[in-house]
Amino acid sequence: MKKNKSVLLSAPYILWMLVFTLIPLGVMGYYALTDPDTGSFTLGNLRDLGLFLPTLGISVWYSVVSAIICLLLGYPVAYFIAHRSALAQKILYMLIMLPMCMSFLLRTLAWVGLLETNGIINVLLGKLGVGTVEIIGTSGAVILGMVYNYLPYMILPLYAVIVKIDNRLIEAAEDLGCNGGQVFARVVLPLSVPGILSGITMVFVPAVSTFYISQKLGGAETMLIGDVIEKQFKTANNPNLGAALSLLLMLMVLVCTGIMNRFGGEDEEGGVVV
Amino acid sequence: MKKANRILTILIFAFLYLPMLVLVVASFNTGKDLTIFQGFTLDNYKAMFQDKDLLALLGNSLLISILSTAVATAFGTLSAVGIHNLKPRLRKTVMSLTNIPMTNPDIVTGISLSLLFVFIGSTLLHQKESLNFWTLLIAHITFNLPYVILNVMPKLKQMNPALQDAAMDLGCTPVQSFFKVTLHEIMPGIVSGAIMAFTMSLDDFVISYFVTGSGFLTLPVEIYSYTKKPMQPRVYAMFTLLFLLIFVLMVTMNLLQIRADKKKVSKQVKPVSKGQKVFRRVCAGVCAVGVLLGCTWLILSTRQKKVTLNVMNWGQNIADGSDETMDIVAAFEEKYPHINVNYTTYDSNESLYAKLAGGGLTVDLIIPSDYMIARLISENMLNPLNFENIPNYRYVQEQFKNTAYDPDNRYSVPYTWGTVGILYNSKYVDEADVTGWELLWNEKYAGKILQFDNSRDAFGVAQFLSGISINTTDTAELKLAAGKLAEQNPLVRQYVMDQIYGIMEGENAWIAPYYAGDCMMMMDANPDLRFYLPEEQGFNLFIDAMCVPSCSENQAEAELFIDFLCDPEISGANMDYICYGSPIEGARDYMDEYLAESDVIYPEQSILDKGVSYLFLPAETNRIMDNLFMEVRIAGGDTVEEEETSVLPVVLTFSGLAVAAALLFLPKRKRK
Amino acid sequence: MSKELIRLQDLTMEFDGERILDGINLYFNDKEFLTLLGPSGCGKTTTLRIIGGFLTPTSGRVLFDGKCINDVPAYQRQINTVFQRYALFPHLDVYGNIAFGLKVAKLSKEEIHERVQEILTVVGLTGFEHRSIDSLSGGQQQRVAIARALVNRPKVLLLDEPLAALDLRLRKDMQNELKRIQQAMGITFIYVTHDQEEALSMSDTVVVMDKGRIQQIGRPEDIYNEPKNAFVADFIGESNILDGIMLSDYKVKFFGRVFDCVDAGFAPNEPVDVVIRPEDIDFVPAGEGHLVGTVTSVTFKGLNYDIIVDFRGFKWLIQTTDYHGEGETVGIRLNPEDIHIMHKSEYSGMFGDYSSYSAEYDELTEDADDEEE
Repeated sequence: MKKNKSVLLSAPYILWMLVFTLIPLGVMGYYALTDPDTGSFTLGNLRDLGLFLPTLGISVWYSVVSAIICLLLGYPVAYFIAHRSALAQKILYMLIMLPMCMSFLLRTLAWVGLLETNGIINVLLGKLGVGTVEIIGTSGAVILGMVYNYLPYMILPLYAVIVKIDNRLIEAAEDLGCNGGQVFARVVLPLSVPGILSGITMVFVPAVSTFYISQKLGGAETMLIGDVIEKQFKTANNPNLGAALSLLLMLMVLVCTGIMNRFGGEDEEGGVVV
Repeated sequence: MKKANRILTILIFAFLYLPMLVLVVASFNTGKDLTIFQGFTLDNYKAMFQDKDLLALLGNSLLISILSTAVATAFGTLSAVGIHNLKPRLRKTVMSLTNIPMTNPDIVTGISLSLLFVFIGSTLLHQKESLNFWTLLIAHITFNLPYVILNVMPKLKQMNPALQDAAMDLGCTPVQSFFKVTLHEIMPGIVSGAIMAFTMSLDDFVISYFVTGSGFLTLPVEIYSYTKKPMQPRVYAMFTLLFLLIFVLMVTMNLLQIRADKKKVSKQVKPVSKGQKVFRRVCAGVCAVGVLLGCTWLILSTRQKKVTLNVMNWGQNIADGSDETMDIVAAFEEKYPHINVNYTTYDSNESLYAKLAGGGLTVDLIIPSDYMIARLISENMLNPLNFENIPNYRYVQEQFKNTAYDPDNRYSVPYTWGTVGILYNSKYVDEADVTGWELLWNEKYAGKILQFDNSRDAFGVAQFLSGISINTTDTAELKLAAGKLAEQNPLVRQYVMDQIYGIMEGENAWIAPYYAGDCMMMMDANPDLRFYLPEEQGFNLFIDAMCVPSCSENQAEAELFIDFLCDPEISGANMDYICYGSPIEGARDYMDEYLAESDVIYPEQSILDKGVSYLFLPAETNRIMDNLFMEVRIAGGDTVEEEETSVLPVVLTFSGLAVAAALLFLPKRKRK
Repeated sequence: MSKELIRLQDLTMEFDGERILDGINLYFNDKEFLTLLGPSGCGKTTTLRIIGGFLTPTSGRVLFDGKCINDVPAYQRQINTVFQRYALFPHLDVYGNIAFGLKVAKLSKEEIHERVQEILTVVGLTGFEHRSIDSLSGGQQQRVAIARALVNRPKVLLLDEPLAALDLRLRKDMQNELKRIQQAMGITFIYVTHDQEEALSMSDTVVVMDKGRIQQIGRPEDIYNEPKNAFVADFIGESNILDGIMLSDYKVKFFGRVFDCVDAGFAPNEPVDVVIRPEDIDFVPAGEGHLVGTVTSVTFKGLNYDIIVDFRGFKWLIQTTDYHGEGETVGIRLNPEDIHIMHKSEYSGMFGDYSSYSAEYDELTEDADDEEE
């Protein structure tokens, strides 16, 4: 029968994904548990992780803060877009998508140009008679970079959810005596929870693992877990410790997204919103 | 409330587009700086179209994204049909497999794939170049697949299954019914999946960065390494054009969709005339043939019959034809037309070592510093040179022969030599404070000080300051130096290597230890910069020398290149650009007089005598130094005392996290 | 009558261990309009899909012209289907939909054009060639679906609840239309529905199914007049079903009385189900009737009144044009030809009592859930 045969089409895919997603994670685990010099089994890499827990803490803190800022900025925007005419929605949606089509490295570099001590913003401020502001190299700059880069990831899922909220529900709530604020708090907000959660995840995951943003916009004290991992592979030549760190990062992200899913309940499988 | 919303939205859009505006403006700027607009020009666009390297990189990027998108789209669509027909339980499992690359941080995906490729290629198959075009392609396909699947699956779900039955009822075989009906129904999903995959693939940096070898670089990966000088404005021009292209594409797609929607509303379907049909087919055909030809051309052009010589050098460490210097690589390729030089860069001896030791690439020629050469020799990572192929070796000055790192002159030919000193900005730094290495610890300049981002050089600075030997293997002494660095940490603006150029030239930091030649280049760009050599405390005197690593596949050609670089005229011309001292007899005569006379490049012998070379240190010491430096970097100087952390808490944290993850995910699946 | 075209032999079908079809034996004659009738989940759509080739039976055979076609895939059968909710291809216009099968068969352009035009005339959609599917009304879509199937000149047309999505008025029109088309084309129609009225008015033969089994096969009149069991009696029209005992041929006893009837061939004293159609019952003055009862409810139905009468605790539905008020004592007379006798079956006692009668007919709703799967 036709159905049984077409099922076979999924077999190469399953094989591919096993070989190129699951097995690599296994190899990573193998590296994490072997000694860089001798290649024998060791827990040493895991022990060394203790040193990096504060870094992990900083990374999580920065990305949580940026996720929250993204939410606070993104929600009104998503709400605004969702309540335009169909054509305007399309245009605005596209405008949100567009920046993501330009190299994220270059856009971050542009922020360097903007925020530098002698950068565009400070030059302008200088001309206005306000002194220079030291932004670059601070944690603020890193968070700004994260918010800037990942804000679209927050707005798009929020928009997708808000636009689907049935207007009749809002009317029903009004009919039942809710004022504007109550309608928002009791109907609109609860219904947009899936979008909020998916947005937070989509901001948090890339933010917590970034190394480019912190390298470019951060300073001496804003080393993130991504930087440390990158260094283990690219300069310190300790892939085993790097693998252990990656494992830690992955587990942490897994736990965080797991908590998110818990809050959000069932999400339709394959609910991708990019 | 609504008004506030509107204003906020406008502000957010301004925020999103501000940096892009900066880049677009910069692409028309006559100057190189992002921050100062000097005048309008289209030269950058012209330069872009003439820059073969840049175009080749773009070609690489496009090749990878187009190929990976095409494969992922076809493969993903078929797989989605298969997955759709799986039993629900199995389908859910497969979908969670699909979600792994989506939820995993990119860095983890990249690292795990690169470890896999290196593990299979280098450890199991003993390939020399286990990270190459194909691994990059596989990685891109792997992270593109979920985008296609996740976009196609909902369309399949929405589709009325009776449509397929209807097609078969009307005489279609299952395969025909897929192409005639199913494909039409899920096409929007396929298209949006493909577009998403393409943009993600084109812009991907993190995964490519870890998975690519030295042989095949994509545009983002190369841009990441463009840190030394302000970015060439032609890069901005290229991205402005790319952005425009995508913009036009998106707008037309949206317009087409709007038109299609309108068509649906209007009752009559416009019959497609025969001419239109033919036109459409021809267009589609031309596009397909074009893409195919383009891809083959790109593949062919990247795999020329020429010998490819993989040269790996420090960034900005060879004259490249800019600023009226000689283009050494081009001159070499002209002299030896059968050789094609693939030139890549690294920014510290340590990162070079990591690249070589990490495996997965072939390199024919490297130019590390003395101590690293010694380390590489001791670890059997260099090939002895055949000096018969290097007749110009006779020009090498005697003092650069029989060195400590290569006492028998078997493995290396000197390329440059130089010193490490302090670069400072005389506009902000009081000359009275310029007394020695302690300038880097002066709290007056907190936040304006830079430090090396590699352990050996950073430790060297601290060791000169503390009067410790820079070649010490004594752990206590190393810890003392680490303490010094930790003490300095709060004052340091950033730990840098090649990024120093932009920061010092832009006066965003004022004081930094760095290599003399590079300092010379920066002084060229910003006349307020001064170079200072703390001769009393001592300073590092280094030699960078050319070697052939053991992973080389074209040693003879590498030796040709070495010989070419030892020609006094070539060497002199080269030094004009890189501003270091040449170890080649007579090269100084070919140098620009102003450089040849500079005491930054050629300090007096009496001063030179106070310079100290790095010696080879045991691996153990290197590891200790690396770890101490990492501690300085992350602990911010708070705690750099040894507290033997026990395994227990970490293991506990780990298993706690794992159990938490399991608890969070497993019951969910059961509930389903 | 004409020759046999399709035969189903011992067809059984199981999904995940659940038996959907349980030993179906059935044959279809050429040029016949046959209806599979039954409630949701009775297995009628499954039967149709097996004939169409979309499902392979767990056991049993499908014979077409005497040859087993179990392994012939759908696209090679000379059978076409009009699907539930039509399954028209949204990316093609009317012409494209109708020409689809012909194009797959690689007919010449001219012939395709000719045949599409021809069939458009048959279904009355000339001039609609280049309309998009979305712009058509339900009835028009229906006609396209029929045309798309018929244009391939199948020997058998399968119709899976084709009128379910139409409103009542349109449905009536299309019923006539379908019958007309079937006669004009001269091919076999196998029609699936849960609407008994539709089945009775259109079919040559009706097959009543329930729980994966055939309950009765026959001409519409026979099915209505001589239901084989309580299920059929109840499903086809309204029925009062009582327990009775067949004393001998033409004599049945219920409610303590012996009635004359027209049925014979039962064992002496066999317990039976007695069916009395609500419209067959005549009121007579209380004293003259065979039975006397009290009216408990009256509902005006337009053509007639539905009157519920309590006879010794058993409530009957009587449809009559005479008005009798609530609480009135009435008598009824039963003629021998109004009394139908059925063997006892698993359905006995499940139907035919109107104690819980409410004003609306206990009919299946129009948008009854789709069948199995």
